[in-house]
Amino acid sequence: MYDLSNNDPLKEKLTILSDAAKYDVACTSSGVSRGGREGFLGNSVAAGVCHAFTSDGRCISLLKILMTNHCIFDCKYCKNRASNDVPRATFTPEEICTLTIEFYKRNYIEGLFLSSGVIKSPDYTMERICETLRLLRTKYRFNGYIHVKAIPGASDELIYSAGLLADRISLNMELPTQESLRKLAPNKNMKNIIGPMNRISGTIAGHRVAVGKSARMERCGINKHLVNSIFGPGVDRIEGPEGDSSLFPAANPFLYPAEKNDALLRRPFAPAGQSTQMIIGATDETDLDLIRTTQALYQSFDLKRVFFSAYIPVNEDAALPDKTAPVPLLREHRLYQADWLIRYYGFVADEILTGDNPFLDYRVDPKCFWAINHLDRFPVEINTAPVDVLLRVPGIGPTSVKRIVSARRYGSINFEMLKRMHVVLKRARFFITCNGRMFERVPMDHRYILNQLADADRRDVYQITDRNNDFRQLNLFDDLKMERA
Amino acid sequence: MRIFTCEPEWEAMLTCIFEAFESGLGHKNIKLLLEPVGQVSFLDEYVHVDADPSKADRLSEAIVRRISYEVYTEMAYTAMAFEEDVLDNIYHVLILGFHYGPEVLRMVKFADIMRNREIRARVVREAERFREILRFHRVGNVYIAHFEPRSRVVGYLGPIFSDRMPSEFFVIVDDIHREAVIHGKNEHFYIQKLTDVEFENLLHTEEENDKYTDLWKVFFDSVAIKERANEKCQRNHFPLWARKHAVEFMR
Ligand code: SF4
Repeated sequence: MYDLSNNDPLKEKLTILSDAAKYDVACTSSGVSRGGREGFLGNSVAAGVCHAFTSDGRCISLLKILMTNHCIFDCKYCKNRASNDVPRATFTPEEICTLTIEFYKRNYIEGLFLSSGVIKSPDYTMERICETLRLLRTKYRFNGYIHVKAIPGASDELIYSAGLLADRISLNMELPTQESLRKLAPNKNMKNIIGPMNRISGTIAGHRVAVGKSARMERCGINKHLVNSIFGPGVDRIEGPEGDSSLFPAANPFLYPAEKNDALLRRPFAPAGQSTQMIIGATDETDLDLIRTTQALYQSFDLKRVFFSAYIPVNEDAALPDKTAPVPLLREHRLYQADWLIRYYGFVADEILTGDNPFLDYRVDPKCFWAINHLDRFPVEINTAPVDVLLRVPGIGPTSVKRIVSARRYGSINFEMLKRMHVVLKRARFFITCNGRMFERVPMDHRYILNQLADADRRDVYQITDRNNDFRQLNLFDDLKMERA
Repeated sequence: MRIFTCEPEWEAMLTCIFEAFESGLGHKNIKLLLEPVGQVSFLDEYVHVDADPSKADRLSEAIVRRISYEVYTEMAYTAMAFEEDVLDNIYHVLILGFHYGPEVLRMVKFADIMRNREIRARVVREAERFREILRFHRVGNVYIAHFEPRSRVVGYLGPIFSDRMPSEFFVIVDDIHREAVIHGKNEHFYIQKLTDVEFENLLHTEEENDKYTDLWKVFFDSVAIKERANEKCQRNHFPLWARKHAVEFMR
């Protein structure tokens, strides 16, 4: 911990409130492109900019802080819960603004990620958050990126204000079922999360249509070619089943907030979209539950991203995993890979996992796993296979697919050329032919290929689990029934 | 073979290319190199060319008029690169350009064009890196950053930071090539070669640490999750060379 001996109150607050915010994994500054304006500070770059990397290897793009870590709620997994005895602090709006501005001018950050514990009531907290953002946008004339957290239970008008002031807005689902929420977050309920999510998504769509954009957010271009993709051509928002209004209430328009009439703030509503986060490993949902929920969130609310956060045991509680439980980093990694398959490869959740086998394989990534279980569809011919089939080959990503498709217009492709296009032959070689020839003779045998691919993945697997102590490594290798590392 | 050499600076480079065209020796008998020239061979004849604004202007005009403005700016970007063959490459791309016209940069079947793309991609990659890791220090009412690029990318960073902070007074100093972007409040930026005295004066600005430098270090430390510690990953993303001017690593 940093030396706080000189008793600077701002330093002390920053230590407490950045420490308390760090478990939120989202830190990207991406999704919106906005040029600078004279008289203002800041712009926004669509691809996002990482300014630094912490000692856990994660990127720092935003000043990620809580406004306060006082909280009247008592979510069991959270360090800031009401029943914990931890140092507490609250920033004033001016302090948050000055920190953001001064850090921004020194090129430390791209903007602000403001979240908060709940003080007094959700509305009171949300009001203070809006006040801070309003100050930052008006008095401090900040034109950089802002990601704001909506507090479950806050009024629609306040959430609308927050969305107009920020670039991205997120509501953390944390747990994917009402059952788990009841167990671990007794003050929250699914309705308070899904309701605003739904309205936020409707408002984003409304603002987009008003300026001539499509109602749905932009996605990776490759989805245009994938008929199966949930972001594919002709796919519309999926509304909830008729009659089930508790989970999918009609998307009532928000009330008109004050910001709407402020000329200084002619801003679109959350132009970088909406995101959420789920905690992995605190409850016993399966991976299939998690990726089904993820997919439903993309389909129903057009979320820009769903983040996963490996549960880190900070509290002792009978309802929680043991405090010595390993942090499920590999599981988190595999879930992100599955999420990529949905967003960039045209997979749907039920192709990735099935009810009899609802957990992602530890040994190989989900795409390899899918391919191994569908060997009857392989090998595919690089020179003739359509885009969606190429994309399903392990070792071939959207960029390589584009290169392959454009190169084969001018002549046939061989393995040498594939290598130069950055196709990972280590994985792809089992699944492709070039002009009818395979890279080498391999038995099309499930077990054999699985072993080969697991070997190729072993370094990754090792590096991810390597982060923890020895206990953790042994544990993992026990799980995998591997004799040696 | 005759080898034309000049200072690594845009006007001199244009003049040098101009002289190479004018020499009428035939492209195969000519090579262009930036100074300082590494290995001198006794079989070749070396001709040093000084910058000449009027010749440089004539060539720029010819490029814009007979090829395109795009090719001109792309060549100016190429010229920033730290690569041995950069001047020779620009010369050869221009030869192709005067022959094929504005489409030349897309004609990847020519080795010179491929090489040119590679050089530009490297420059952009390096410059984009500094967009992330540049760190400004506040000195009075000016924000000053120092950095040490291999290629001369200060000109690439000028527009990036002018857009980011249009109403701030800031200076970005390239310590290697001794040139700086200077941007006044609500003004257009300009690039200035630094004299020894100016360079000396700017040298110690990184020692000017204020409250916010300290607060940034506090934030940097406390936002890391110790249960996920992974220095290898941190080093991959933020290699040691990048840390020299990054305040969070200055202890
Ligand atoms: S609402 Fe729950 S998760 Fe959020 S700060 Fe309070 S206790 Fe923690």
